[in-house]
Amino acid sequence: MEKTANNDISTNQFIIVRIGNEQYGINIKIVDNIVRMQQITRVPKAQKYFVGVINLRGEIVPVMSLRRRFGIEDDEFTNATRIIIIKPEQQATVGFIVDSVKEVVTLEEDQIERNSISTDAEGQSYISAVGKYKDELISILNIQTVINDKEQA
Amino acid sequence: MDVSQYLEIFVEETKEHLQSLSENLLVLEKEPENKDTINEIFRAAHSLKGMAGTMGYKRMQSLTHNMENVFSEIRNDKMKVTSELVDTLFQCLDALEAYLDNIINTQDEGTEDNEPIIKLLNDFLNGNQAAPAQAEAPAAPAQQQTGASVSTKLSDVKFADFEKHAMIEAGKNGMNVYGVNVHIDPNCILKAARAFLVFKNLEELGEIIKSIPSTQDIEDEKFDLDFSMFIISKEPLDKVVAAVKNVSEIKDAEGEQIVIKEEAAKEEAKADTAGHSNAPARDNSKPAQAKTSSKPVVNRSVRVDIEKLDVLMNLVSELIIAKNGLVASNAAEQIQHSQNFNEQIEYLERVTTNLHESVMNVRMVPIETVVNRFPRMIRDLSKKLNKKMELYMTGEDTELDRTVIDEIGDPLMHLLRNSADHGLESPEERIRLGKPEVGSIFLDAYQDGNNVVIEVRDDGAGINIEKVRNKALEKGTITPEQAESMTDKEIIELLFKPSFSTSEKITDVSGRGVGLDVVKSKIEGLGGDVECHSVVGEGSTFTIRLPLTLAIIQALMVKIGSEQYAISLGSIQTVEDIPVEEIKHVQGKEVINLRGNVIPLIRLGELLEVPDTAEDAENLTVVIIKKVDKQAGLVVDSLIGQMEIVIKSLGKYININKMISGATILGDGDVALIIDANAIV
Repeated sequence: MEKTANNDISTNQFIIVRIGNEQYGINIKIVDNIVRMQQITRVPKAQKYFVGVINLRGEIVPVMSLRRRFGIEDDEFTNATRIIIIKPEQQATVGFIVDSVKEVVTLEEDQIERNSISTDAEGQSYISAVGKYKDELISILNIQTVINDKEQA
Repeated sequence: MDVSQYLEIFVEETKEHLQSLSENLLVLEKEPENKDTINEIFRAAHSLKGMAGTMGYKRMQSLTHNMENVFSEIRNDKMKVTSELVDTLFQCLDALEAYLDNIINTQDEGTEDNEPIIKLLNDFLNGNQAAPAQAEAPAAPAQQQTGASVSTKLSDVKFADFEKHAMIEAGKNGMNVYGVNVHIDPNCILKAARAFLVFKNLEELGEIIKSIPSTQDIEDEKFDLDFSMFIISKEPLDKVVAAVKNVSEIKDAEGEQIVIKEEAAKEEAKADTAGHSNAPARDNSKPAQAKTSSKPVVNRSVRVDIEKLDVLMNLVSELIIAKNGLVASNAAEQIQHSQNFNEQIEYLERVTTNLHESVMNVRMVPIETVVNRFPRMIRDLSKKLNKKMELYMTGEDTELDRTVIDEIGDPLMHLLRNSADHGLESPEERIRLGKPEVGSIFLDAYQDGNNVVIEVRDDGAGINIEKVRNKALEKGTITPEQAESMTDKEIIELLFKPSFSTSEKITDVSGRGVGLDVVKSKIEGLGGDVECHSVVGEGSTFTIRLPLTLAIIQALMVKIGSEQYAISLGSIQTVEDIPVEEIKHVQGKEVINLRGNVIPLIRLGELLEVPDTAEDAENLTVVIIKKVDKQAGLVVDSLIGQMEIVIKSLGKYININKMISGATILGDGDVALIIDANAIV
């Protein structure tokens, strides 16, 4: 419910999550839910970055580790670990495991830098822009490249 | 008039009528004299015309009108059914289907007038009228003839004992028995009402003892334009006939006095009592026939949007998950609940299972709806390919989930075309080989456990293994070494590979190389599989196996390491305890010898890369699974039990191996993956 309300007000709200030492922003428009870490069922022979599937209120949702996706060392689940449930389109849901969720921020157009993204380095293409919020830099995730690149497991 | 709200009904019913026309035309071609069929056809064409007219589809109406004219001629024996005529009529059906397609897509019938077809129909009509035109001069005698034939019919009518008795009594009392043939004007709209008036008028004159067809049928308007009645009356025949003719829209009526000789009646009665012989038997068989020919229309039904059923099915799935949760928590908490509580849970289980079955049943559609267009297709193919062939179908009433039905048509059609084109030999070849000239194609459907099996079989040449092998070599699909070592069965499997067609000439029937692989992928998409067996010179069989349901199945839960997996009960044959020392090795693979069958062992733990599986115990728990004639033994750590599970998809983004067919939610909320045994064997 809140999500729809936010949608109407602004499309520039981002959920700030932490992975390792970096902060990433996910557009709140496509975030369906944030849940605590729970029992994950491993799926054999899936892409390596998929940890498995969870039961989210009766629906099966595949869950990927953003750490594995970005090639950082594996997660160590803590009390702060969360799964961000993303719904990029109707009938398609996927979860991201992140180290912790920090806050929701609103970024104005002038706070978002879109041109400084170089795509040469591995992993850079997962980021669509960089946001500046109070002295800190936030990498805004390009959800499509994160979820769609079906690399062979 | 706004008719859009009736559009859906119109489309559905038109489809039904077209289908019925197509089926009956095929029958008519074989049995040109079959009156029931002609009547059925006439009725369907007539309804079509009426419906099209009501909906304002003028072109459709005009075409059906012309068809109806032809049928009417046939019905009145003024026209012979020829193969050419049936061809033309089929063209009409195609044209009508084209109209219908247009209507479905645009709500408009389009602008095609189909004049050539109408002209063809009229040519048939005219050509035909030319023939009886010679006989037109003695038209009156002809009519008299028909009258005569009818009146002989009147005296031929068999009466039941009590009717005879009444007639004989009437004769004794100086009353007359008359038979009256009534012909209703063809333009009459309310035939039943007219018939009722006839009844009423006659009842004023005497007692009606019998009518043909029965009073009930007449009331229901289950007659064409004429009917006969028998009346006992004091009045002279003229008056009776006049009373009938008095009713408006009655074209004609002729009557005849019927004399039943008491002795003859007695004799007959004697014969009847003597052995309960032919007469009553015949009497019994007649109505039975009439019943089968006039299909009961009193099938009470409701048309429901398939989406609503999907919602219902989802709710049932949720209910089953909740039920599983309740059962699991009851088992886990180990509290001694009252007896009543356990009973209620068992009751709930029964109800949910029944509910699931009922909802499934609602979604089930007989396969007939798909296969009933195939006889027509085979007829067309037979003409096109110049091969004589006959399609035999069984098990059309086998039911499948609606979603499967929608998808299965094309693959089946492809297999049939394949059989017709590649399978069956040319007639000359067949005669040379000593086979019947007419090739046979069989389509058999039946239920087998949790699966529905559809077989497409022909008695043609079979698959030439060498030809396939050479072709595969030529195309580089396999290496020469592979070709050496492949079994016949593996060679046949090659046919299902993309772009593989062995037909030497490419026809527009089949042979574009986009055949069997599409069939295979489509059927696998439905959770089924397809296999082929072939004997050279005797024919080939394609066997399609489809799951009965796509949503909820009974499964055996097994444990491997710390993970739980579900295996569909439908593919499990037995579960065995196998001592480790009984494992043999063949070509480096583990096998067991189970009651004379050598079965390969598959260690699920390794296959699924499960971490920390249990150490080999002395005995292995082996689940024997079966797919058609292949078996395999799946080694698991332990069994958990049988459970009704709801199949859920794993979502769009995760790549899953073929051997995982989905996931399910267990009673405690955990997720277990479902193993597709068919993909492993």
